[in-house]
Amino acid sequence: MFIIFKLELFKLRKKLRAWLGPILVFLLITISFPLTIELASDDLKNVFYSVLWIASLLTVMVSVEGIFLEDYEDGTLENFSVTNDSLFSMVLMKIFIYWLLIGIPISLLGTFFSISMSGQMSSLNVALPAMLISTYIFINLFSLGNSLSLNKGSVLGALITMPLLFPILILLGKIVLNANFGFEIYNLLLLMLGVLLLIIVFIPFIISFIIRTHLE
Amino acid sequence: MSDSPMLEVKNISFSINQNRLFQNLSFDLFKGQAIHVKGANGSGKSSLLRILLGISSPSKGDIIWHNISKKVFLGHKNVLKNYLTVADNLHLHGLDAAHPEVKSMLQDLNLHNKTELLVGNLSYGQQKKLALVRIFLNTSNVIILDEPCVGLDDQTRKLITSFLSSELNKNKSIIYTSHIPLELSSKEVMVGGF
Repeated sequence: MFIIFKLELFKLRKKLRAWLGPILVFLLITISFPLTIELASDDLKNVFYSVLWIASLLTVMVSVEGIFLEDYEDGTLENFSVTNDSLFSMVLMKIFIYWLLIGIPISLLGTFFSISMSGQMSSLNVALPAMLISTYIFINLFSLGNSLSLNKGSVLGALITMPLLFPILILLGKIVLNANFGFEIYNLLLLMLGVLLLIIVFIPFIISFIIRTHLE
Repeated sequence: MSDSPMLEVKNISFSINQNRLFQNLSFDLFKGQAIHVKGANGSGKSSLLRILLGISSPSKGDIIWHNISKKVFLGHKNVLKNYLTVADNLHLHGLDAAHPEVKSMLQDLNLHNKTELLVGNLSYGQQKKLALVRIFLNTSNVIILDEPCVGLDDQTRKLITSFLSSELNKNKSIIYTSHIPLELSSKEVMVGGF
């Protein structure tokens, strides 16, 4: 498992545009959005979180577009299924590395911007955990969509995945609402964490099964 | 060659979309033996290799591998990353370009001075040779190759044949398809004819 982790990390690290590009897209959205409305407006504080969630959603969607496609096209997946029994561990590691190189940086950037916008350090308690968990969920779900539409274009994958993302977006909205009214947010964060814990195991398993079917 | 086969193929048949590719195909593979799978284009040679590898399933029949732990396969795709250098690609396959054994093989294949080049900048033949380095430096006891000599010049083809012969001498087994005849003592298996 550690060898797979090292090799997958090596591959993504060397492909700069695959992880730096999405981070720059996220940065662009979060910087440019406040410029389009009145900077001093109170509305900005209210809607900034929504921008953050949507920006992270789009960033993840763009970043995982080719998560399996390249390995499928150059024969890596086929070779891996022959030489190694566990496609599951490869998928698991791939998703984790995407979160490590894309999910975590955009979560940190998003948190930084939310603190800058609100002017309160308390935003850290809302934005950071919510973004860390939600980006991992988004990467898993978009990877599922991409595995289903492997070789058929990423738009189809995104369309398949979208309905699965709505409950997460609703939860994120609830978290912001509760935080604004000074209500408890940790129960909602725990609920999202619970969803993530289920997804972490099941989605890679389903993806590995789908990939095997594609290879046949 | 040992007495008991390491692979038994028993009466396998395979069809794609009701198009029958082969029927009741049977053969055995022993240690230190090479099998040349022959047939016309579209006769099911590659499909047979994929069935033996467990990627696809036969419509009928049994494939029994005895005491096999590792197989190595090179198909039509070279399993190389164009955006990585030759050395990085070798690293992905667990090989160190600076290791004497790897260096010597790269030298034989005339790739020794290209380790820092991006694979995307190599010709098809050079990429094929690099893909074969992974095969020949693998510790697997069964080598499965689908058209290994496509895009290679005569000299390299002879070299590949000699590498394959030395693998057979190490008691490894080889199954390959090739339209280009290789000077390798091998048993022939015909597929197709429908």
